[in-house]
Amino acid sequence: MAEMWISMGPQHPMTHGLWTLKVKVDGETIVDADPELGYLHRSVEKMGERRKYFMNTTLTDRLCYASSTTWTHCYALSVEELMGVEVPQRAQYIRTIMLELQRLASHLMWAGAYMPDLGHITGALYFWRDRELFLNLLELPSGSRLLYNYIRIGGVKRDLPDGFEEKTERILKLFEQRLDEYADLFENSKIFRMRTEDVGNFTASQAMNLGITGPNLRGCGTKHDLRKHDTYEIYEEIDWEIQTREAGPGYSDCFSRYMVRIDEMRESVHIIRECFKNMPSGPTMASKVPIRASGEAFRRTEDSRGEALMYLVGDGSDRPYRWKIKSPMFTTISACPHYLKGYKVADIPSIMGSIDICIGETDK
Amino acid sequence: MSLFSFCRWMAEWTANYMLIPVFNFQRNLFPPFSHPAGTIADWLGTDGGLDTLAWTFAVNIAFAIGMTNLILVIHLERKIAARIQDRRGPMLSFRSFRELGEDLAGEAPSWRFKDNYSGIGILQNMADGIKAITKELIVPSKADKFLFTMGPIIFISSSVFLLVLFPLSDRFAASSAPAGLMVIMAAFSIAPIGVLTSGWASNNKYSMIGGMRSAAQLMSYEIPLLLSMAGVFLLAGSFDPVTIVEQQQESTWLFGLPMWNFIPQFLGFIVFMICILAEVERVPFDLPEAEAELVEGWTTEYSGIRYMLFLAAEYIRGFAGAAVCTILFLGGWAGPWPIPPEIWFLSKVYLILIFWIFIRWTVPRIRTDQILELGWKKLLPLSLINILIVIFMVEIYPYFSDVVNLPEVF
Repeated sequence: MAEMWISMGPQHPMTHGLWTLKVKVDGETIVDADPELGYLHRSVEKMGERRKYFMNTTLTDRLCYASSTTWTHCYALSVEELMGVEVPQRAQYIRTIMLELQRLASHLMWAGAYMPDLGHITGALYFWRDRELFLNLLELPSGSRLLYNYIRIGGVKRDLPDGFEEKTERILKLFEQRLDEYADLFENSKIFRMRTEDVGNFTASQAMNLGITGPNLRGCGTKHDLRKHDTYEIYEEIDWEIQTREAGPGYSDCFSRYMVRIDEMRESVHIIRECFKNMPSGPTMASKVPIRASGEAFRRTEDSRGEALMYLVGDGSDRPYRWKIKSPMFTTISACPHYLKGYKVADIPSIMGSIDICIGETDK
Repeated sequence: MSLFSFCRWMAEWTANYMLIPVFNFQRNLFPPFSHPAGTIADWLGTDGGLDTLAWTFAVNIAFAIGMTNLILVIHLERKIAARIQDRRGPMLSFRSFRELGEDLAGEAPSWRFKDNYSGIGILQNMADGIKAITKELIVPSKADKFLFTMGPIIFISSSVFLLVLFPLSDRFAASSAPAGLMVIMAAFSIAPIGVLTSGWASNNKYSMIGGMRSAAQLMSYEIPLLLSMAGVFLLAGSFDPVTIVEQQQESTWLFGLPMWNFIPQFLGFIVFMICILAEVERVPFDLPEAEAELVEGWTTEYSGIRYMLFLAAEYIRGFAGAAVCTILFLGGWAGPWPIPPEIWFLSKVYLILIFWIFIRWTVPRIRTDQILELGWKKLLPLSLINILIVIFMVEIYPYFSDVVNLPEVF
């Protein structure tokens, strides 16, 4: 069969969003690949420069529809640095709990989206069933199910409702049981491992050169997590481990990237429990949050998908002069020719699904 | 009374009291001129005419039974899938609800769980059919229009043909060919032509890759499939379903239990089950229509009733494949007396189908190169070993047991 270009997308089940992957195939083998992004560009940065600082939290919520709290939190952190606002201790604890709940929901969303890629519809429904529980939980303090707008500049919107800890504990207990239950269906299943093992390999040094971060980098066995290395909120005070997996010495495959996320979910459960254990009382909002700011701020946080970076310049007015967002998925998707070449067409959903694509934050 | 003798009686009754009088009346309308109706009336009076009419009735009855089963199988698949996936109703996970209660797992629905099976969910199939019929048949502008139409015709007709080929019992058969199972396998292997034709004629790269995959898969799985069947044919000495089932019932095992073929030929049974799954293109071997990368593969460009019939034809092939498996390895319609053999046969078929449905909703799909590797490197040698075992049973052991007085085991 002659070589030919196949255009997968913008509407294709593999894309998980709106982008095009052009692949050059020789029969069933991928010879070349060319990602095209930008279908979902909403010009969030420019829009933010026309709005006041506190208004932008609604925009950052919409950066990633699967993980909105983490992006709002990254924005809030950078604005707080710009304004020099001290966040109260209790608000920091609540923020950490919300971030980890969001990470759980986001990883479950990913796992649910990954299973139909491998032809496993039941897996999708199982993981989304559990995500539903965490959405119910996130709904309790914030009032909404997808775009929370709960983390504000200087703190959080309101205190946690009564009985939140007890409800969270009930759900976490059930969720841990379910993760053990799913192990037989997924990671111990022969066909699942046939589809994921030794597919979409990249080494740790390749990942660092190409700007691949987050769980995809930790899947190579590299202990790198901004929650530890450029710490924020209370991640330093509580006791937790960075989860890593590797397929072989210093490289990752789809299976190790799957497993590192499952491990991270277990670790998130642990972090939430630790937070509840020594939660202080007090205010949940800084007493004074200025409206105007000048100078520049740069913060990076560990998003569910990798390193989220935000750079803000203020010129003394109540609106940011320049706002730059760096999305982890943009670099990861752009590097896809490096880890697609040489595999089969049937591996494309398996590989592209395993890196956890979110086009909302990629195209901004 | 067999299906054929019933149909023969029905044909005689219809011919004598309805068809021949009507045709004769037409013949006698204008006496000077001959009328073709008269020829038909004369032919219907002969044995050949009555036999033809009887076979027509039998085939129609078998077709109607097959189609009813098709609807049941689709309904069964939906129901079992919903239970496996914990879908009991809109927006509710039953297991989360049971373990966490109303405050965390969503609102309790107004209906009660145990009352929700009304039994009319099967009408959903009718609704799907009506919807498919009313949809437009889209033909892509650059498609090869003739072949685009021919592909579904080949695929669907060869699949529907399967319904009348297997007997439900020794008395309930719409066809009686001595080479019955060979005809069934021949009908099974017409389908790749239809798949390749429609994949190529769609003028779509996804469809073409899907068609290629399907052709490669069906052709490479045909060989271990037929080899695993060969063991059964050697044991029974016939291609006839009736003979094969009789042979399984006659050969006995411990405590005088009938030794159905899946006991002596366990290897062949396993190979056959895997290969027939690939042959009917169900998960985990459904990669020709992998929706994740190929967007339904060779059926991408088809719409309306054509697409619906493609789906229906796949279920028909699944039903026929389970029936062949029952005849070959599970003793066909044999079973204890009070339950009629047709019911025994259908219950064994449904057992296999339910097993396939469970497989479909619990495992992911495997890859093209892996599927071909499995077929050529593992299943083909295994089926050859199975044939060796059968040859030892049928030819070598009886020969030596005659010479040195070994006990008669097989």
